Amino acid sequence: MIPESVTLAELERDALTEIVNIGVSRAASSLRKMIGEQVLLSVPSIEVVSQHRAARLISEREVSELVAVCQDFSGPFSGRALLIFPETNSLELVRAVTGGELSAQDVLDLEHEALAETGNVILNSCLATMANMLKRSLTMTIPEVVRGSGASLFDVGEDRATGGLVLFLYIDFAVRSRDIRGYIAMIMDLPALATLKELLEEFIIRVVGDEA
Amino acid sequence: MTKTDPIGGLMTTTGASGTWNWDIVTDSLRIDTHFAELYGLGSQAASEDLPTRSFFQAIHPDDRARIRIAVAGILAGAELFSKEFRVVTPDGTTLWMHGRGQSHLDANDEPIRFTGLLVDVTERKRTEEHLRIAQTAGGIGTFEYIDGYATATVSRQFCRLLGLHPANVLPAQTINSVLQLDGPSLIPGPREGCIPDSLDAEFRIVRKDDGALRWIARRGEVIREGAGYRLIGVIYDVTQAKEQEAALRDLNDTLESRVEEEVAIRQQAEEALRQAQKMEAVGQLTGGIAHDFNNLLMAIMSSMTLLRKRVPADPALYRLIDNALQGAHRGAALTQRMLAFARRQDLTSERIGVDALIEGMRDLVERTLGPAWSLDLSFQTNLPQIVADTNQLEMALLNLAVNARDAMPGGGIIRITTEYRRVAEGDIAGLAAGAYVGLSVIDTGEGMGPETLKRATEPFFTTKGVGKGTGLGLSMIHGLAKQLNGIFTLASAVGKGTTATLWLPVAGGDVRGAVSVAPKPELPSHAQRLKILAVDDDSLILMNTAALLEDLGHEVLEGNSGEEALDLLRDNPDIDILITDLAMPNMTGIELADHATDIRADLPIILASGYGDVPTGAQQRIIRLGKPFGQAILAQAIREAMGRIKSQ
Repeated sequence: MIPESVTLAELERDALTEIVNIGVSRAASSLRKMIGEQVLLSVPSIEVVSQHRAARLISEREVSELVAVCQDFSGPFSGRALLIFPETNSLELVRAVTGGELSAQDVLDLEHEALAETGNVILNSCLATMANMLKRSLTMTIPEVVRGSGASLFDVGEDRATGGLVLFLYIDFAVRSRDIRGYIAMIMDLPALATLKELLEEFIIRVVGDEA
Repeated sequence: MTKTDPIGGLMTTTGASGTWNWDIVTDSLRIDTHFAELYGLGSQAASEDLPTRSFFQAIHPDDRARIRIAVAGILAGAELFSKEFRVVTPDGTTLWMHGRGQSHLDANDEPIRFTGLLVDVTERKRTEEHLRIAQTAGGIGTFEYIDGYATATVSRQFCRLLGLHPANVLPAQTINSVLQLDGPSLIPGPREGCIPDSLDAEFRIVRKDDGALRWIARRGEVIREGAGYRLIGVIYDVTQAKEQEAALRDLNDTLESRVEEEVAIRQQAEEALRQAQKMEAVGQLTGGIAHDFNNLLMAIMSSMTLLRKRVPADPALYRLIDNALQGAHRGAALTQRMLAFARRQDLTSERIGVDALIEGMRDLVERTLGPAWSLDLSFQTNLPQIVADTNQLEMALLNLAVNARDAMPGGGIIRITTEYRRVAEGDIAGLAAGAYVGLSVIDTGEGMGPETLKRATEPFFTTKGVGKGTGLGLSMIHGLAKQLNGIFTLASAVGKGTTATLWLPVAGGDVRGAVSVAPKPELPSHAQRLKILAVDDDSLILMNTAALLEDLGHEVLEGNSGEEALDLLRDNPDIDILITDLAMPNMTGIELADHATDIRADLPIILASGYGDVPTGAQQRIIRLGKPFGQAILAQAIREAMGRIKSQ
């Protein structure tokens, strides 16, 4: 069960979705500049789930292995952000962001770097926008590319503490008419999520005022 | 619809749309006439700059905060706006709108304009609602799959039916992973090639969330689109129908064997009934002839007894007479046994030492078997006594010995063993825990197969040729064992011989009136000369009884009926004792005894009966005498009757 103290109300979820949307829009804009092509990013929905459930959610939807770009963030709320793609989609993404003129071998060689860079742009935009919109500041580590199953990405090994929660966002990622789906996941502990919730309430009051 | 607003009415039904242009820099809003209509604003609103708050003005209060947040996102740099919300027009109508917008950025990536299209989706919303309710209420999930894609668009109910987390789009591989068996896919994979003919199929699945085995039916249509195709269909759970169908099929498949089984049971019941009817007939027949048969045996026995006294003392003659007497005794025992069997009469209970009983039978058994067979007796020492009817047990032993002989036509050794055993519950099937004495008769003959063994204790079942056996032997022994709370077991193997064992409970310490092995008749003593009134409607018996009594030295008055006896009793007040038959026409022995008591309250009475039972309520001082009786038994009964009177 997810404790009520960190369960996002509908409006809070909307607010967070919009904030992340701003983040991915900025990321899309940055990517457009990088590759000179139309890049569209949007976040249709968001959920707070347990780590177990996050692992299940992703392995039900994706049957192939996964590739993720990880970045840890710290500040008023700390945690780890992951940009996750199905492995089959990751090469597609690399081709898209590198202009599609590379040989298969080049794509393979560049995959790691291109993924790290793309992930950095997207996650950075998201986290920076969140910090900005919530009027707080966050610091981030450099990105890291990891591969594995849903379970390994969400650290749900048997001997690990799995009390953490996951802010789970689906993102649609359209680059040069290629459909690439991915996920943004933010693993946070309970106090971090409770803080995020409080900051979201403040944000809502600022935006909506009396009408909330 | 009103006459003043014909276009608005038209627009709601046709999904009308309007546009907006939000200038972020000047903080003003321009809308077109359609937008104005949808918001219920006057058409002049379309021609002027409006404050941006007008954008939220008509939005339903419950949706307003949500839309404000979304717009705040756009103003802060989000690119896309796509929201559904309700608008309340001034006349109070609620309409569903879909706003789709986009932000426009300047060279510095700062948003400057927010434009979009507002579409009335009330009809679609209503249809969606209908569809959603249809899906949840009907348990039907929908899907759409476009040829070549690795994913399918699905409904929430679709996910629920398969036990998957709700999603709008699922990879085909994920959907197909619920299938229990390899076979056709629920949703075709991207490279499965050929266009399916039909979507009608049923699938066995393992539901993902709870692991339940379910049947899912798929129905729908295949829509061709150029070289490719699109599948639109539904799935629903048909587990219950499938289970019923399977149960019905199973019922149908096993109908024949169930009928056969029923018929067999019925045949068995009919067979058992026929057997029971046969037994009843035998019982009636036996009861009917027992009296006459006993009388004949009495005549033979008493005549032989008297004859033995009068013939010259020649051992050869004595042996012949003794043989005849023995035969008559056995005949009498047989009558008793048949009566006990046919009428389920209680057996007389005596304490018996089994080894002594066998030893006593040895001579008779050996002579019955013949010279080709010999007995090997092996007794356990200190065997405790049991409670049984001596005669019955003797007959059982004889019967088993004869069976053992018949199983070894060429001759051989028949072993008779005894054993004491403490039996625990379940040691011997059908036998309660306790202490038992086992009496086994063992042969090394032909043995029996399982089928024969099973039927061996059924009444009238015999493997002997017609006229060689009644088939009653083992069933009577079985009945005897049951009556005594014991059990009769048969162990046999074809070619190896048979072990027949009678397990009987060890006698408790408190059995009253117990005597040891059947008492040997004592020689009559000419103690006292008595005046005896003998009564029997059968003159042959009466004559014999009188002869026996006279031989004992008594004076005998004879009566042919109860009436005659009463007359004699009145005329002869010095009569010492009354001996009467029980079953007589007009006046029974019991009635006679009652009347006699009226005349002479202290008169000793002996009641002779061929049936094993004396009616309850008969007077306590009446001595019972079983027919047929010998001279010694008669003398004993007289002594007992006289003694009982004296002791009163």
